[in-house]
Amino acid sequence: MGSDAPLIEVHELSRSFGGIRALDSVSFAVQSGERRAVIGPNGAGKTTLFNVLTGEIAPSGGSVRVAGDDITRLRPWQRARRGIARMYQRNELFAPLAARENVALAVSARAGPYRFVGTPSPAESAFADELLTRVGLAGREGVPARALSHGERRQLELAVALAQNPRVLLLDEPTAGMSPAETARITELIAGLDRTLTIVIVEHDMDVVFRLADRVSVLHEGRVIADGTAADVRGDTRVNEVYLGKVVVR
Amino acid sequence: MRRVLLWASATIGAATLVTFPYWTAEWESSRFATTVLRDILVFAIFALSLDLLVGRAGMPSLGHAAFFGAGAYAAGVATQRLGTDQLPLTLGAAAFVAAALALLIGTLVVRSEGIFFLMLTLAFAQIVFAIAFQWTSVTGGSNGLAGIARPFLGGIDLNPPERMYVLVSATFLAVVLLLRAVAGSPYGRVLVGIRENERRMRALGYDTARIRLSAFVLAGSIAGIAGALSAYSLRFVSAQDVGIGTSIRAFVMVLVGGAGTLAGPVIGAAVVLYVERILSSAVPVAETVLGLLFVAFVLLARQGIVGIGGAAWARMRR
Repeated sequence: MGSDAPLIEVHELSRSFGGIRALDSVSFAVQSGERRAVIGPNGAGKTTLFNVLTGEIAPSGGSVRVAGDDITRLRPWQRARRGIARMYQRNELFAPLAARENVALAVSARAGPYRFVGTPSPAESAFADELLTRVGLAGREGVPARALSHGERRQLELAVALAQNPRVLLLDEPTAGMSPAETARITELIAGLDRTLTIVIVEHDMDVVFRLADRVSVLHEGRVIADGTAADVRGDTRVNEVYLGKVVVR
Repeated sequence: MRRVLLWASATIGAATLVTFPYWTAEWESSRFATTVLRDILVFAIFALSLDLLVGRAGMPSLGHAAFFGAGAYAAGVATQRLGTDQLPLTLGAAAFVAAALALLIGTLVVRSEGIFFLMLTLAFAQIVFAIAFQWTSVTGGSNGLAGIARPFLGGIDLNPPERMYVLVSATFLAVVLLLRAVAGSPYGRVLVGIRENERRMRALGYDTARIRLSAFVLAGSIAGIAGALSAYSLRFVSAQDVGIGTSIRAFVMVLVGGAGTLAGPVIGAAVVLYVERILSSAVPVAETVLGLLFVAFVLLARQGIVGIGGAAWARMRR
């Protein structure tokens, strides 16, 4: 494998639901350390793409490679072990558990579940607190996830994904439902993440997309209709027709 | 200081419990009380093992009696057919057979959830019941296994009722300590994670199906130990031990007492057996009351007696 081989290679990925082609022969490649945005109107197949990348939905055709390995048939937990983490669009947290415990469960996945004696290690809790401080939840470590505000839950969702120490981070609308101040905060946080991390981000907020993304892929009706640098995509007539035009006017 | 006091009172409480038949020896009803308490503790172990699934891991099994019964039969058969009366062998056989059965059934059911898990566990337990009922040469069929000899521990004969009681209560304490350690361990937290959001746990890299299976086998083997203690205590095993009635009783104990706590299943076992053994001889409709009580708890107090007590305590302190 060459050193400039892409970290993520998606090849002719397809998936239908009933008669609807949610993904129609989607191909793209993401380099190691790249920030890639996937944009497109609602129903374009963005979340389905993430579900196929994490293994929660099986594709009807095509393949996914990460670091050269075909992971198309791996189960979600096996993909997580290979360093793929996801921030869900709709929060997937452990509602009654404290924020710290939510993060600690992600941290302790590496040590394995079959530890029947002893208490969870203080090092895990300390690392969890550190991450919570990073995402802006300092002082909220002991609050149950269900008692956090919407914005705080998004921050916690990000902390849980980061706690997995991934090499690929999939962010599904990280700023959805956040206030402008919270959006700015989380955008800067993501922008400041280590460049060893490869990030794919689905987002509707174009300011966020153009702030973060090196390259942008545009999905429309399950197909990639444009793929290029942020500037390329901004100038693409077709993209403006199906998507950007509508958003910019808003 | 507070910690020392807690440990001291727990130790005194444990010693009081284990020596119950000795310090009540003068009572007129000591024998009867010892028997009732013994049976409560047997069922408390059984209910605690079910709660590991229902309360901790969020796996509502309606077929847990399969493992209780498997343990009871294994202890009975080991004693009667294999001619061994040593406790480690017969109790070990019970735990092993129940764990093996739980591994078999668990492999087939752990990928299902909620109502489907409930129905599948019920269905497999009914198959085990049918086998127990018809495999007369081993299980005695509808006659069951009668006259099971109580075991020896080395040279100590556990046949006298007070010694039998000590065995049951000591095992009960060991199980409580074990499950308490599990609840506070990383493994216990993982089970709670699976209960609250299995999808996320998978996304974090946990092989949740296998973890659920491990909990199923652990709970099954503890249920098997409870079954063996029941076989020794009653000196009898019947197909009813594997039946749906036994599964439901344990489920009622967990829900009435309070799922997801250590005290809940124990209190639930005490309530159910009190109603069945004592109240039923005084009040003719006691069992109906138990049924209504169960419905009331499911509808009005999901947290069980422990939950109600906790809420009342919190209000008093405020």
